[in-house]
Amino acid sequence: MTATPQTSLDLSVKNVSVAYSNGHVALHNASFTLGPGTICALVGVNGSGKSTLFKSIMGFLRPARGSVTICGEPVHKAHKKSIVAYVPQAEEVDWSFPVTVRDVVMMGRYGYMNFLRIARAEDHRIVEESLARVQMLDFAHRQIGELSGGQKKRVFIARALAQRGRIILLDEPFTGVDVQTELAIIELMRELRQQGHIILVSTHNLGAVPDFCDQVVLINRTVLAFGPTATTFTQENLARTFGASLKHLRLDHTDNPADARNELVVVTDDEQALVLGSDGQLNRLPEQEARP
Amino acid sequence: MIDQLLIPFTYEYMVNAMLVSALVGGVCACLSCFVMLKGWSLLGDGLSHAVVPGVAVAYKLGWPFAIGAYIAGMTAAMGMSYLRSITRIRQDAIIGVVYTTWFAAGLVFLSIYPASVKIKNIVFGNLLLIAPFDIRQMVVVSIVALGVLLLKWKDLRLYCFDPSHARTIGLNTWALEATLLVLMAGVAIAALQAVGAALVMAMLITPGATAYLLTDRFGRMMILAAAMGAITSALGAYASYYLNGSAGGTIVVLQTLVFLVTLVFAPRHGILAGKARAKAAAEDLLARLNRESFTQEAAR
Repeated sequence: MTATPQTSLDLSVKNVSVAYSNGHVALHNASFTLGPGTICALVGVNGSGKSTLFKSIMGFLRPARGSVTICGEPVHKAHKKSIVAYVPQAEEVDWSFPVTVRDVVMMGRYGYMNFLRIARAEDHRIVEESLARVQMLDFAHRQIGELSGGQKKRVFIARALAQRGRIILLDEPFTGVDVQTELAIIELMRELRQQGHIILVSTHNLGAVPDFCDQVVLINRTVLAFGPTATTFTQENLARTFGASLKHLRLDHTDNPADARNELVVVTDDEQALVLGSDGQLNRLPEQEARP
Repeated sequence: MIDQLLIPFTYEYMVNAMLVSALVGGVCACLSCFVMLKGWSLLGDGLSHAVVPGVAVAYKLGWPFAIGAYIAGMTAAMGMSYLRSITRIRQDAIIGVVYTTWFAAGLVFLSIYPASVKIKNIVFGNLLLIAPFDIRQMVVVSIVALGVLLLKWKDLRLYCFDPSHARTIGLNTWALEATLLVLMAGVAIAALQAVGAALVMAMLITPGATAYLLTDRFGRMMILAAAMGAITSALGAYASYYLNGSAGGTIVVLQTLVFLVTLVFAPRHGILAGKARAKAAAEDLLARLNRESFTQEAAR
């Protein structure tokens, strides 16, 4: 991948409130800021405002109050420069649409093309390279509906790569995806973090969050907690985020109730479980080597 | 016999009618690919009926019919989106309520002010009685629409496929939606006089649906649809010489025949191909099971 000139990059959500026309307040006074080179998890129950937050960052919703800025500019200016790339959930895509894998990845280049969207040699090269990076080159001519769940996801990640998006939003990237693809996606996200990208991932997969995310945003109608995974992704904060919908098990393999040292706490919202130490803190710290 | 079949070609107005309807049918067919993939078939059907009162009033006042049709179509579209924003009624019900109301208003207007023959031509179409001025109007609208589609088809395809992505790379999705709506209304109005308001929508759906069964490439889909739309429309115009001017029925019946044949025989997405695939898979499974039980017995 050619190194893009690393001007400073930041995503800032300031006191954002969003109300829908039916009076429902989806987000109230939400704030957080992300700097270059981070993988940040966005965690919350369904209906907690995750997609509202994504839509505000993508500029589909205008906040009633507060602002979303990218490098100090309003989002629509950042969009003109193709800075924000969005990887949609599988359900949002019409898989029977007559487009091939290559067509979809080429759509990532439209922002750089002329009025007629005629691809130049450079665009073709970048599309090939992006397909190769997610191991989908052999499927380039396929119609998108003829792919497995993991392959489908990789097509849209390749599109984000081809777009050269420096802020990448992934909406539930691990649902319906095989383990091999999940690992490949995580590996790719780490590479992108190393190159200074901002990656914001909404996920229900609590167990995987400490593995690859260095920061977390916990939301329920507002940002409840935001910060480094090691200090923010705790049992206490998760309990505040999920309330009663979080399942919570205490396991002790030594069967000795007097000694709490061996206790493990398993926290799950019915997808992948998170295992914590007896103190409700993460046992293993997420690797920090990639942080600049 | 041959002489008789060639008669229409000896009249200049018949040749013109065939060329014009091929053009309009081809453009409708190109647009049908977007309308179908965007899921706007019902909306388009509503719009094509809703233009009728506009046309009726325009003729009464002596305006160009296209202006009346355009105003009626757009007020109907705005009425639909307004109703959707203030009630909990579902969109299909709203489209149904609004377009039948507009269509009925047109019919009431026609029964109060007895119609000239032109009005009946708007509802049912009569290719041979279109005034030269209106033919020019149809040609101009079709060529403009074709030009826009040829220049911007990639953006429109992206808008239909993934509007979120279109927006995040800085495309103006509002303008793309408006473009598609205005093209749909414009082309529907152009096709009105050829096939009539009642059947316009078939020309804006069937070719796209047929081509969709034949290919997985959008570019090829547009070419196939356009060819089918142009050929069936020219044939319909030709047949109208023998059928007293009414081409609409013939065009739509021809298109439906092509659609049915495609539905059954299409190489990959046809019914027969699907059955063959299912049969092959079942035989394959059976063969494998047999092989396994055979090896198990042999092992015993």
